[in-house]
Amino acid sequence: MMHHSRLSLLLAVLALTGAAQAADTVPLQIELPKPLFAGTPRPISLPNLEKPRTGKRPDLMVPAGTVNLSKGKPVTSSDSLPVIGELSFITDGDKSGTDGTYVELGPTPQWIQIDLGAPAKIAAVAVWHFHSQARVYHDVVVQVSNDATFKTGVTTIFNNDDDDSSKLGKGTDQAYIENYEGKLLDGKGATGRYVRLSSNGNTSDELNHYCEVEVHGSLVK
Amino acid sequence: MFAPALRRWLPLALLAVLALGLRTYELDRRPLHADEANQAVKTGELLEHGRYAFDPHDHHGPTLYYAALPLAWLRGETTLATLSETTLRLVPALAGTCGVLFLFFLARPLGVGPAFLAAALMAVAPAAVYYSRYFIQETLLVTCTLAAALAMQRWWQSGRLTWALAAGAALGLMQATKASAPVFALAALGAALVVTPRRPVTTRLGRDLALIGGTALGVAALFYSSFGTHPAGLRDAIATYPIASARATGDSGHEKPWWYYASLFGWEKNGGLVWQQLAFSAVALTGALLAWITRQKVLRVAAAYTGLIFLALSCPPYKTPWHAIHLVPGLAVLAAGALALIRWRALAVVATANLVWLQLTQTHLVAFLRAADARNPYAYVHSSPDVLKLRALATAALAQHPAGTIRIISEEYWPIPWYLRSLPAGGVGYWATPPADCDGALILASAAQAPAVRARLHGNSRETFLGLRPGFLCVVFTPAPPAP
Repeated sequence: MMHHSRLSLLLAVLALTGAAQAADTVPLQIELPKPLFAGTPRPISLPNLEKPRTGKRPDLMVPAGTVNLSKGKPVTSSDSLPVIGELSFITDGDKSGTDGTYVELGPTPQWIQIDLGAPAKIAAVAVWHFHSQARVYHDVVVQVSNDATFKTGVTTIFNNDDDDSSKLGKGTDQAYIENYEGKLLDGKGATGRYVRLSSNGNTSDELNHYCEVEVHGSLVK
Repeated sequence: MFAPALRRWLPLALLAVLALGLRTYELDRRPLHADEANQAVKTGELLEHGRYAFDPHDHHGPTLYYAALPLAWLRGETTLATLSETTLRLVPALAGTCGVLFLFFLARPLGVGPAFLAAALMAVAPAAVYYSRYFIQETLLVTCTLAAALAMQRWWQSGRLTWALAAGAALGLMQATKASAPVFALAALGAALVVTPRRPVTTRLGRDLALIGGTALGVAALFYSSFGTHPAGLRDAIATYPIASARATGDSGHEKPWWYYASLFGWEKNGGLVWQQLAFSAVALTGALLAWITRQKVLRVAAAYTGLIFLALSCPPYKTPWHAIHLVPGLAVLAAGALALIRWRALAVVATANLVWLQLTQTHLVAFLRAADARNPYAYVHSSPDVLKLRALATAALAQHPAGTIRIISEEYWPIPWYLRSLPAGGVGYWATPPADCDGALILASAAQAPAVRARLHGNSRETFLGLRPGFLCVVFTPAPPAP
């Protein structure tokens, strides 16, 4: 009984001590630096945007007989009258990215759509949005379908719209910085006559650009 | 009874409405430039805490900040958090509109028609409209310069002390707006001397000049000393000159060729967009030639002033596009003078209408369609529209991690402090290099700092990109939500 009383007393003391210590603790306050007032920023850009890859881009393995199906094919868009360039630039084979070789679509989410002329099995899609400046295009989504309205039978082969702001579904693919190599996407054998690419502005402005899109695959017999 | 007055003033009133409309439509649409944001935060400190101290390094005079106060009070904004882009930009917008009216009265000796046309050409000029929608000092300085010139002109012709006082006050406001004010005052004086003006009406020239000078010094001193609360500002108002001089002539990062300002009034194709004011410049140059042939005094003063300003701005290697606005009033007067000399009325009307229309289309492109576009010659090192997303990202991150902090780790981060101004005090920090502890509710790192930041983060983070401005990318690290 005595032992029990001593034990209870000891526990009570420990509990009180612990409570006192708990009462003494406060959230750690870290003083954060305030913004400094600086002069007009210099017109510079950062050349080293990501760790440069060593060596060539890893090969994407595609079935033998795969060809560029999109060269010269008709292109339509949510912005049917681009202010700069023409939609035909997207499949004209010129991916140099200089003035006069890209099309500029308006702000807000915009899409372009390539009609391959017949259903095809897509092995890869390569896209060059704009590569004369380091920038990232937002909410890039690439889809394939046999339905020109993309209401049925849609297969998504790339989607980095992680908050579904384009209302095409939430994507998990990574955003990427544009460069001369373009973005090479695995077509995953998706089948369809139409390929639609969406984007929602970029890190430099609200506009959407395309130098070139290549759809590689083979026609479905 | 009112008809003659109405007929006389209605066109000018309509022009003022047009000028104001162009300067105030959707003022908050373009994201704040780094310089605007910097000054907006300073204005917020003055508004909220009544604190302002002139900083001779990298900053201009105080009038811009003080001018924003009454507008903020009228709009019910009393803190930095409630201060809005529209309120701030209303300062240059209203000043720019006043400048248009001042130019009309200044050019009045040319005749009502040419003076009206000069004001109209300034009202629609791309540079004048663009920088009247921009929270920096330049438009305010142009307007104060026009006000000073107008008051001096009236004092010279009438000898009235009220005009001398007004001239002194305007000169003082010029000086309190920007330390470069003497360049424009001296250029105006030099241009006036070109036409060897007749003697002033006043019989007490010395007294009047002392009054003008004393008023100017008094007004400037009031502002630089923060209305007597910061006397060191008077010393700093002088100390700023060696600093500004070093910036104008040294390695500032803003060096450009001598013809830079001329090119802003020429023709340029960039990224498929054409920026041009060839017609306006050609007509203005014709006006400059005619000024010497016709010996018209106002035209000659305008030509001399514009030429002197062009030289003063073009000689130093330091150049930024907002200085181009100082050339607009002179060019507008010269162009109006040239058009007024066309003898065939129909031709004059067609030429004038075409010129105004061409300028309006350029203004539409410059100030509205592509206001923050890197190809826009006036959108200099401009913030990307991406920065408008940051506040929502930060608010969402703090909702997920209420005890967390927002860390901005970048060698350059303006205008971000403006966009995060309403977040809890102490919840946002700024570092030029990665601190030892990089973890937070949301971390924004410049692309250059991102690898080091990534290496110091604990746990999983989602990475997205955000553009601070064209060519300057940042990585946004959003930690995974805490386990429920």
